[in-house]
Amino acid sequence: MAGPSHLPLGAMSVLAWRNLWRNHRRTVIMLLAIAIGVWAMIFMTALMRGMVDQMIKDGIDALPGLVQVHHPDFRDDPSIDHRIPEPGPQLRKDLEASGVTGWTARVRVPAMISSERNSRGVTLLGVDPRGEIALGFDPESIVEGRFLESRDDNGLVVGRKLLERLETRLGKRVVVMSQDPENNIADRGFRVVGVYRAKLSGLEESFVYGGLETVQALLGVPGEVSEIAITGEDYRQVDPLYRQVSGVFGTDPEILQWTELDTYLGMMLKMMDGFVLVWLVVIFLALSFGLVNTLMMAVFERVREIGLMQALGMKPSTILYQILLESLMLLALGLLIGNILAIATILPVRDGIDISSVAEGMEMMGVSSVLYPALKLKDLLMANAVVIVLGILTSLMPAWRASQYRPVEAIAKT
Amino acid sequence: MRKTILLSGLLAVSSPMAQESDATELVRKAMDHWRGLTSHSSMTMTIHRPDWERKMTMESWSKGDKLSLVRVIEPRKDAGNGTLLNDNNMWTYTPKINRIIKVPSSMMSQSWMGSDFSNKDISKSTDIIDQYDHELTLTEQKDGHVHYTITSIPHEEAAVVWGKEVFVIRDDYVMMEQQFWDQDGVMVKSLETLEVEDMGGRTVAKTMRMSKADTPDEWTQMTVHSVEFDIELQANMFTLSNLRNPRQ
Repeated sequence: MAGPSHLPLGAMSVLAWRNLWRNHRRTVIMLLAIAIGVWAMIFMTALMRGMVDQMIKDGIDALPGLVQVHHPDFRDDPSIDHRIPEPGPQLRKDLEASGVTGWTARVRVPAMISSERNSRGVTLLGVDPRGEIALGFDPESIVEGRFLESRDDNGLVVGRKLLERLETRLGKRVVVMSQDPENNIADRGFRVVGVYRAKLSGLEESFVYGGLETVQALLGVPGEVSEIAITGEDYRQVDPLYRQVSGVFGTDPEILQWTELDTYLGMMLKMMDGFVLVWLVVIFLALSFGLVNTLMMAVFERVREIGLMQALGMKPSTILYQILLESLMLLALGLLIGNILAIATILPVRDGIDISSVAEGMEMMGVSSVLYPALKLKDLLMANAVVIVLGILTSLMPAWRASQYRPVEAIAKT
Repeated sequence: MRKTILLSGLLAVSSPMAQESDATELVRKAMDHWRGLTSHSSMTMTIHRPDWERKMTMESWSKGDKLSLVRVIEPRKDAGNGTLLNDNNMWTYTPKINRIIKVPSSMMSQSWMGSDFSNKDISKSTDIIDQYDHELTLTEQKDGHVHYTITSIPHEEAAVVWGKEVFVIRDDYVMMEQQFWDQDGVMVKSLETLEVEDMGGRTVAKTMRMSKADTPDEWTQMTVHSVEFDIELQANMFTLSNLRNPRQ
């Protein structure tokens, strides 16, 4: 393209820059439109990401773990019949050597809990308190009393809502009933030693925690558990962890990643990437009309000028580049402002936005009442790329038209 | 004879340990008195609600502490419905569907045949003796009998929701009242004996009424028509096949 009549890039840039600020009001308005559009893209994406991240994290904490090991039939029929041995010393050593960040073995059976006045169906978890906390049970969520203290703790920790439903209180005795492997009734009294609050009230009603050994003794299955939950570093990269765990446990038990254990959660994560792109394009579409319009106007205003430049020997392609360069400058400036604006609004609220006024509705969706915007470099780059690429594409039309004027007609145009 | 021995024992010994074992003994005796080694009785259960009432006639057998069989005789549409208890396990049989169902743990706190008794009340009656600490709290003279009031507090790990149960046992081992209290000291329900009669060679409670403290106009009453104690029972009496196909 470089010919004698082709303007050097430096001169073209100067021209473009000056042209931009000839009608500075229009340019400022366009800049604002781009900046606000980019801000909306980045900020809203960060909010959505934050919401989904939180949902997935809460979901994984409730599962818990990134990878779980079960008896192959456990997920179809979560009864005590489908149990696996607790990891022995060798397995423990292998597990710890494989670099998992935490693991725990738990008994998980359907049970009935009853007080003097009411009874409810619940899931009874026999847990090792240390492992449970490592896997994401937050001791801070205990609102009354204490969490379990040891594997053979005789107390029971229940959700706040369940306690309400049972019309009983901390320190009272309740009876937990389930079935042992011979289908006999296994029941005993427990004293409520702790009350927990969950982000999702549904969990408060469905899970009760007892000491692992206490529950094993109740059900008559010493040394056996229903599931082994294992957690690792990053919920987005579970494959390496999965391979390590498979190496340790072999192929006998069923080993599943969280995306398969809770397919809804897994799907959310996959869907989110596509959703972000659609969101960005939708905002850009609205923006592009403004952009095309502005550039069109800039071209129409300068028909005579463009004609003169062509008459003086400027190639149509140079005209095209000239207009595109103007548009690129406009976009780049708008993006710069938009990015700064977005980062400036996200940073102050990264500790969470309290949306407790609409918390109940959000909880139904499985979202907690504090929103943490999550700004991802990937999303930021994608927003910028969408604006630049699509912006240039939309500017092609006005630029193309400008380059197609015939100099004689253009100069004569009044 | 036994009565006088027990009575003098109670009066003479006042240390709490001895009192506790006496109280346990009283409950034990009252249970044995009611069940005998074996028993066979027929009774009517009346379920009363403010706007309706229904009666069921039943026949029941028991052996030792663990085994019981109850079968409905009338009304005709319920005839043949049976309940078999073996320790804490419970099975029901309904001829209309010709099925034996093992009552799962999740249904143990539901009502038994629509009455004010829960399945658990029915199946747990003799666990009282060893899952509770019994203490004699009151001795009083009434209607020519001595009434012993025994307060029983369940063990920490017992599968019992009550804070305490209170028994009133007459000196001839008739259980006059059984109260169920919650852990805040409020009475939830009670089983009272309304009539006492000599039947089958023993003095037994003829009419008993179970009622909830906060709905006094809803109750279930058991009236025993006849009872025999310490009789010979077929060996297959407490089996699932006998529950399904009665052979007596």
